[in-house]
Amino acid sequence: MESRILQLIAALRASGVRVSLAESAEAFSAVDLMGIQHRDHFRLSLRTTLIKDSRDLPVFDKLFPLFFGNGQPPMMGGNPTDDMTPEEAQQLADALREFAQSLRQRMERLMNGEQLSRQELETLAQMVGLNKAEDLRHQEWMTQRMMRALAFPEVREALRELMEQLQQMGMSKERVEQIRDQIQQNMQGIEDQLRQFAGERIAENMSEQPPSESMDNLMNRPFHALADDEKKILQREVKRIAAALRTRIALRQKRAKSGHLDPKSTIRTNLKYHGVPMEIKYRDRTRKPRIVVICDVSTSMRFCSELMLSFLFALQGQISKTHAFAFIDHLEYISGDFSGSDADAAVSSVLVRMPSGHYNTDLGWSLNDFNNEYLNTLNGQTTLIVVGDGRNNYNDPRTDIFSLMARRASRTIWLNPEPPLMWHGDSDMPKYAPLCNNVLKVGNLKELASAVDELLSS
Amino acid sequence: MNNPFESTGRVKASLNEQKYIASDEIATIVFLAQKLGKPLLTEGPAGVGKTELSKAIAGATGRELIRLQCYEGLDESKALYEWEYSKQLLYTQLLRDKLNDTLGKSESLAEAADKLAKEEDVFFSSRFLLQRPLLKAILCDQPTVLLIDEIDRADAEFEAFLLEVLSDFQVSVPELGTLTAKHRPFVVLTSNNTRELSEALKRRCLYLFIDYPSLQEELAVVRLKVPDLSPKLAQQAVEFVQKLRNTEMRKSPSISETLDWANALVALNAKSLDKQTLEDTLSVLVKHESDLQKARRQFIAPPPARGKPDEFGRFSGN
Repeated sequence: MESRILQLIAALRASGVRVSLAESAEAFSAVDLMGIQHRDHFRLSLRTTLIKDSRDLPVFDKLFPLFFGNGQPPMMGGNPTDDMTPEEAQQLADALREFAQSLRQRMERLMNGEQLSRQELETLAQMVGLNKAEDLRHQEWMTQRMMRALAFPEVREALRELMEQLQQMGMSKERVEQIRDQIQQNMQGIEDQLRQFAGERIAENMSEQPPSESMDNLMNRPFHALADDEKKILQREVKRIAAALRTRIALRQKRAKSGHLDPKSTIRTNLKYHGVPMEIKYRDRTRKPRIVVICDVSTSMRFCSELMLSFLFALQGQISKTHAFAFIDHLEYISGDFSGSDADAAVSSVLVRMPSGHYNTDLGWSLNDFNNEYLNTLNGQTTLIVVGDGRNNYNDPRTDIFSLMARRASRTIWLNPEPPLMWHGDSDMPKYAPLCNNVLKVGNLKELASAVDELLSS
Repeated sequence: MNNPFESTGRVKASLNEQKYIASDEIATIVFLAQKLGKPLLTEGPAGVGKTELSKAIAGATGRELIRLQCYEGLDESKALYEWEYSKQLLYTQLLRDKLNDTLGKSESLAEAADKLAKEEDVFFSSRFLLQRPLLKAILCDQPTVLLIDEIDRADAEFEAFLLEVLSDFQVSVPELGTLTAKHRPFVVLTSNNTRELSEALKRRCLYLFIDYPSLQEELAVVRLKVPDLSPKLAQQAVEFVQKLRNTEMRKSPSISETLDWANALVALNAKSLDKQTLEDTLSVLVKHESDLQKARRQFIAPPPARGKPDEFGRFSGN
């Protein structure tokens, strides 16, 4: 039982739920306390100790039955031959003889309502490659494959023929119906058994997966060298880093009270000291930055921009106002897409609207768009951030507009995945860079996180 | 001491006695939290009875409920303790004569200061300590239930401070030394999930997610809390609320709103949920103008023909 619980925890971790060591220890003491006789109590004691986020509840509800069964074996319809008259049994045997050997065997087993043995399940798993499956989304597909390996479609076809034949041989209609119902129930039973087995096996595989590459490694990997599933892991990591940053930034913003005395509140607080000003109150200086961010979402920059946007929207509480723009060949205002809380979904909806083509990135034109419509979003309190590689496909860089924007904003920061050494060819970075207060290289998540930290720190 | 929380069944029954209908899930998790001595973190939409649960627990165990309502800017002096300066000042004023007696006989300034130092404890004793909820829960002679309400509204900074208190239930007051809890309070934290809580805090708690109740559960709650409502009407009302929850709304009606509405129906002496009654009472249930209009359109009547503009000169109806 204990190893089973550990497997469940490992599978939870593999599905992206964060379970700490303390929490798993907690789960064991909860199980000790509640016992395992009552299935529901057992489930709840695991759930309340392991899952701390309502978004992770569905993952648990999916995995739990795979490790601890859903309480009962799949329903089998029973054996239709049990209550047959000898005459009817003879008819059935005659009808069955009409089919090919292999089909006949399968049909007979279905008639008997036997479940598949462990041995047979293992063989099937081998056949369809279930032992390599590590994703629960493949459960249904694997089930279908195993059913096909069991020749279910042919059996279904044969069953219909069998029923017709029985009817021709003179068996009563109700009787035939009854047999068919039972056989169908048996088939359903086997299907359920297969589905359960596939789920269990995949979940076990997931829990045996070696822990994925250490996060540090992944954080230091350049964006362009990331595989798709690694990107997903990083997206999750962004949330965590953002939470940590949020705490630090909140503290910093809190401490940054200085300068202006607030006479009203000082007098009010010091009433209790007979008006002797023992506690001085300062006016809360709003340190929350306003941000205008312009992101290159062309193929080369897409992931970096995506992570940057995720960061900004995870940190919304610490920022007073954000205007986000995305561009490839023209500029679009995308803050509206972020009205919900889910940054991932918002980013992908933006990307659907702005499919990237080949070599059509044009920052100059996009800046022109900005100049025409959105210049008023920049004022003395705004930090302007550009996320892009500055590669303009030899289009006009429009540095005139960019310098105007930089002058209007209080600070201009450029995040570029390329180091200065690589700023040649169609890169316009050498022209843009002198106009920025700061150009930061963000080639991987670690650099991006520290860039965001710096951005909100001063 | 007799403990009404010795099995999940008893938990359920005693919560029921407090007029709180607990599902098996809630009962089991409350039982576990109490047995493991862990804080219980409850999350869920507003108004599903998170706060009510802790009141019921307090009622069922006969413990005092100490409530700490969190808000932005809440700090230690409001959550833990504060010195009561005005009282201290008042005492020094009133005790001046006595002080003169004590200090007057001393020959040198140094001697007087020494004497005063001996009496220092008088001014920094628990007499002048204004106990805020957390300290109160720690110092209480009886076991208590400590409710930390809407923790997600407090700052991250306060959350970190809370962790310290929740892990060993002791606080150090520089002037008095370390104060340790005589009885560990049963701690319930609630969160409306407006922001992510820190991993560290979550790790220390048991987690209970309370969602909107099913039709049966909600009906049971309404029958229990508003016994004057006729069974038939209660059924209709709850069905209507459940239907509203299934439509997309800016703010879905919660149980507390269902109860308010049920009370309103009783007060209006409604016999059935006819159009007029709905029209009159819908605003008890639905609090957003746009939701209200949506509900009207969907459940009561199509918008009336555009005719008279209302008092603001707009056309009513949509």
